[in-house]
Amino acid sequence: MSQPPAEKPSAPPVNILPSQLARIYSFVHPALLLALAASRFEAVVTNPVQELLNDLPWLALLQLFYVILCVPPAGSLETTSSGDNEEKKKASPRSPSAPRPGKSGHRRKQASGKNVWAGLWARLMPALLSVTLTTFIATPVLAALLVLFGAPLTTHNAETVLCAAHMAFLSASSLVYAHGTDGLVWKEVWGIARPADAVWGGALGTGLGAWFGAIPIPLDWDRPWQAFPITILAGAYIGYAAGSLISRTPFLYGKRVQFVPEVIEEDDKKTN
Amino acid sequence: MASKSQKGPMGSTAPNSDQINVRAAEQSKQSAIQEQKARELENEFKTKHFGVMGVLTWILDPGIRKSTRHMGDVQREKLKTDCGGSCRLLHIAGIYFFTKGFLLTRMVLDNKSSCQELPFDITSGSQHAPAPSNQQANGCWHQKSFDKAVVIIIDALRYDFTVPFVPKEESETAHLFHDNIPVLYETSINSPANAFLLPFIADAPTATLQRLKGLTTGTLPTFVDAGSNFAGTAIDEDNLVAQLHSAGKTLVQLGDDTWQALYPGYFDANLTRPFDSFNVWDLHTVDNGVNEHLFPLLRPENKSKWDVIFGHYLGVDHAGHRYGPNHAAMASKLQEMDRVIRDIIAALDDDTLLVVMGDHGMDIKGDHGGESDDEVEAALWMYSKRGTFGRTSSESLLPPKNAKERPIPQIDLVPTLSLMLGIPIPFNNLGSPIEEAFAGPKGNDWANLATVSRLTAAQIKRYQAAYEISRGGADDEESLSLWSAAEAEWKSGSKSFTSKSTAVRSSYELYRKYQRHTLDVCRGLWTTFDVPSMIQGVALLFGGIALLVLYARGMRNDRTELSSQLLSFVGVGSGAGAALGSVLSLFGFTEMSTIDLSVFLAAVGSMAGSAVVMVKKPANLTIPLPNGMWGWLAVFFTVSQSVGFASNSYTIWEDEILLFFLTTFGVCAGISSMRQKTTTDRVLGVYHSVLFVILGRLASFSRLCREEQMPFCRSTYYASSTSSISAPWQLGIPFAVAFFLPAVIRSFYSGSKSYEGAATLWISYAFRFGLLITSIFWMLEGADDGEWLPVSKETLKTVRVFLAQLVLAIAFAAGTGAYIYSKPCISISVNKPPEDPNAPPAPIIAGQEQKPRTTVTILGFGNMYGTRFFFLVINFALAIILMQKPMGQGAIALLVWQILSLLEILDTNALTLSNSPIGPIVLGLLGSFYFFKTGHQATPSSIQWETAFIPLSTIKYPWTPIFVVLNTFGAQILAALAVPLTVLWKRPLQTSDRVAADASASSKGAKSANPATRLLSDVTQAVATHTLYLATINLATTMWAGHLRRHLMLYRIFSPRFMMGAGVLAIVDVVLMVFAVGGVRWSTLSVGEIFGW
Repeated sequence: MSQPPAEKPSAPPVNILPSQLARIYSFVHPALLLALAASRFEAVVTNPVQELLNDLPWLALLQLFYVILCVPPAGSLETTSSGDNEEKKKASPRSPSAPRPGKSGHRRKQASGKNVWAGLWARLMPALLSVTLTTFIATPVLAALLVLFGAPLTTHNAETVLCAAHMAFLSASSLVYAHGTDGLVWKEVWGIARPADAVWGGALGTGLGAWFGAIPIPLDWDRPWQAFPITILAGAYIGYAAGSLISRTPFLYGKRVQFVPEVIEEDDKKTN
Repeated sequence: MASKSQKGPMGSTAPNSDQINVRAAEQSKQSAIQEQKARELENEFKTKHFGVMGVLTWILDPGIRKSTRHMGDVQREKLKTDCGGSCRLLHIAGIYFFTKGFLLTRMVLDNKSSCQELPFDITSGSQHAPAPSNQQANGCWHQKSFDKAVVIIIDALRYDFTVPFVPKEESETAHLFHDNIPVLYETSINSPANAFLLPFIADAPTATLQRLKGLTTGTLPTFVDAGSNFAGTAIDEDNLVAQLHSAGKTLVQLGDDTWQALYPGYFDANLTRPFDSFNVWDLHTVDNGVNEHLFPLLRPENKSKWDVIFGHYLGVDHAGHRYGPNHAAMASKLQEMDRVIRDIIAALDDDTLLVVMGDHGMDIKGDHGGESDDEVEAALWMYSKRGTFGRTSSESLLPPKNAKERPIPQIDLVPTLSLMLGIPIPFNNLGSPIEEAFAGPKGNDWANLATVSRLTAAQIKRYQAAYEISRGGADDEESLSLWSAAEAEWKSGSKSFTSKSTAVRSSYELYRKYQRHTLDVCRGLWTTFDVPSMIQGVALLFGGIALLVLYARGMRNDRTELSSQLLSFVGVGSGAGAALGSVLSLFGFTEMSTIDLSVFLAAVGSMAGSAVVMVKKPANLTIPLPNGMWGWLAVFFTVSQSVGFASNSYTIWEDEILLFFLTTFGVCAGISSMRQKTTTDRVLGVYHSVLFVILGRLASFSRLCREEQMPFCRSTYYASSTSSISAPWQLGIPFAVAFFLPAVIRSFYSGSKSYEGAATLWISYAFRFGLLITSIFWMLEGADDGEWLPVSKETLKTVRVFLAQLVLAIAFAAGTGAYIYSKPCISISVNKPPEDPNAPPAPIIAGQEQKPRTTVTILGFGNMYGTRFFFLVINFALAIILMQKPMGQGAIALLVWQILSLLEILDTNALTLSNSPIGPIVLGLLGSFYFFKTGHQATPSSIQWETAFIPLSTIKYPWTPIFVVLNTFGAQILAALAVPLTVLWKRPLQTSDRVAADASASSKGAKSANPATRLLSDVTQAVATHTLYLATINLATTMWAGHLRRHLMLYRIFSPRFMMGAGVLAIVDVVLMVFAVGGVRWSTLSVGEIFGW
């Protein structure tokens, strides 16, 4: 059976932009999200639908702010993703301090003054695309997955959709922003075969976290927070934060989930 | 995948034409050798097949001793030859030992005591019944002391709540639950003739339902006794309530609605007010409701409306569950109860007896169900304004300071209340009359005490006699001597007939001794978990699993080669074990009975023997750890589910968890499929993964909720949650199944061009015809229920039975015959030049074609083994679908579809030939999942007994149980039958020549083994893996049930799940061995017949 299907060149792992601000914020962002989620937890328990709906625009804005600030937009890497990714994978293991060739080129382009507007445009377009696709594709797909995993179909529809929307903005928005509609990348995404990076780690973490978040629901503890979407979303947020940070450690960065040869216990459980 | 070669242009052309003439002479000789070799290989396959069946029998199933229950004689003969008459069961032995220790059984006799018939009539015959004329007026067996009674049950009223707090140590201070309900103690001290207070010891399980049964029948609770009443349905045994009812008393029940379930129809419908007992968080609704309706009844103007009131307060119990005993809420609740009792006393008249009692206690956390002291020590208080109570000695003047002094068992209430109210003692009673109630105000009415004691003892003796008649066995000597001594004293005492006569007094004491002795004997028989036996059972099951792990996952070589050795070692081991067992027990080294010890040691010995065989060649062993994602996923599913059974929540919600796991598998399959290199594999794999997930979710809409799932679950299996018939629209499901299911199966067959040969007839005609008859059957059933047709019910029933039997005949009689003789699903067309060879479909052997330029095209070549074997699944699917309700038929159809989808997933992800454990494990999940989707739950009450009457109009053995099994475990049976398919589906044809050719081509060294036995080995591995899943689940549920034997939910959740696990394991073991592995024999033979060996 196939190894990680790396036979064709695909996009390399995403690096956080090299600017100081971007690097700092990329660490702050998951923590910030978690802190905000924790602060709204009580409100979500009290009135899930209203609160999740209210929080959604803020989550979307935060995620957009994060990707625009920290993640190279789709297209910016295309120049580099042509042939040398194999070598890049080796070289890349975590050296954000040493700007990588593709990135520096991008920086230069942006720094060349004249193209400020073009640079902004290059970031706004993927951002817009990201919001659109996340809302209209990722959210329905995730909602369907939630239902397939056992979320109620006849009731709690608002909860399901909002839960899916939150998960979508956690996972898909940065993926779309960073990779656009690159078919190869998305094939890898569906095959859980992307190399680990902040964007992919966050997405995978969201799914895994949501999966584990379902575990406490059936227990008879009679706690209000055991209601349907809450634990799943809590798991998703925690998974996102953990995933996007852990996947950047030198030990994991650039590695892919292996299905057959090696034993990687939980990483392959699922996507939700 | 290699197996994708759906249309193999197999034969191709002959090799070198110049060699043909040279070879012509050798041809016949070679073909003779070939033939002989083929025969040898075939025989080898057959022998090894028997060997494998023998091994499986040993692991799975009954050996000689228990096999009678499960198998026909033919099968047993076969086994005897296989394992030399010495094989033993592992699973059955393990389950047997555990069950022996765990399931306490007691026969329920439905004899009733009657007013006319005194208990002496049978036992001694010396006394004749009193004149029946004034019987009703004065009491049946004994002069009644009260006309009316108010029986108040304060749920979980522990004894130490009711007595003044006495510190055991200096530093100990009173808790919040102390000294808050002083009325009981005060009255007993202040006016001993009016009241007495005693510790009132419950028998475990201390759950209200079981307690009420004990308190009214006077007998001990045991598992099976509880098991017959899981739904809380009516008590069959003779009991106080029924006796009161038949004595013409008007009974009123207020409070806890458990009474309604236990004694339906006995209570006066106008005055009775049951309240939901479920909501533990609500402390006041039930209590306020009881108060509201109780006090009006106590007013003088309402006196004539009732005779006995049963008032059941739940507040104390709920306060305990919610807050625990040491909480202000408990204090105020107890104070409230104190006021209530004082108010009742104030309202009481002289002819009414007041009884206040707890049905059990509570532990330090306020919960109950187990057997700890705090849980069993309740309080009993009786009160009357007339002052009839007495104490026989001055030491008993004060109420006991704690529950260790002068406790009485709760069943004592039964004879006491019966005799006080003048009704017969319920037949099954084992309790004794309470001394204080009959001793008279001066405490010296020995004649009365002796009389009531004699009555009670005689009834106990009569019960024991009846019990022994039905069960066999004899009275023990001590009871007999006690009884005759008591009778002797009674006779001598009755001559003098003074209350103070010592003979009367000693006869009373001897009767009482007799009663207590009998109670002890019965308690010993019925209510003790035999923990060593349970441990032995668990140890056997565990050992069996360890061996299975080794056998299924830890062996590199051909499993079939081991069979004969394995079986002989197993035989020697078990023989030695059995011999050792009998010797040990003959010389009295152990307490166990000879048979038990022999069985146990035989099982241990056989395991040791097999372990020796398997470990003998370490080179053959690998570490049975999973490798790769699929292996870990399989382990994860099995282990996490097993661990989950320790929690009542995960046991209750098993159906949803299985869906979650199945979807997880589907998603993983989709992911894995996305990684496949070839587009076909990718597309097909993803398609089937998506299909698999959607089908599972679709099936999950068929639900039958268990009580504990409410209110988060809505039943859809029947027309409504309160009915057990199908809605009219559901009658359309069988027709849809008849229309779609054959088409679905056909599409999977066509995928590999296997819709050839017998498949057409089988799937599109026979199967569909059977399904259509099934739909008509259920349509008629619906017509019967709804009375749509102007036909008598008898006619409808006759027609239905005929139709059902016809379907079963198609499925099993015709189906099995056809299965044995059918050809594989292939079509062979031979394109050749005009000159005709004599044997067109000659064995296709490389280099052996007789004529040049002959092209043989074989359709369906890529999936010969799989499609041929799948016929068996179709046969069973037809029978199982017939046995399901319409909703369940849809579910089974989805199961068949999901199985096919799973097989395609396995194939596109290259998991069939690599012997991955995931296939058999997911089939295990599917079987369990669809068990729930066919309207079942892990509760005995969800067994659809009525389905036994689908193909029969009366009960017929052995058919009736078989039909119920087909209905109940249909999903698991179907999934088990599909297990061989996980290695057979799209398995490429392997004959010895082809393998040899492959081997030499790839120069890997000759693979000496017969490929057919390799196939057998793979099948065995898959079957063993599937068994491993079920055995692990069984071990887990067994262990948890044993470990949690004091759990409140034991009888509701853990025991039923354990029984279900054991039942599934036993049944699937038989199905796997007899049908699945047996079926492989015929399908492989039929392929071998055409393509050689």
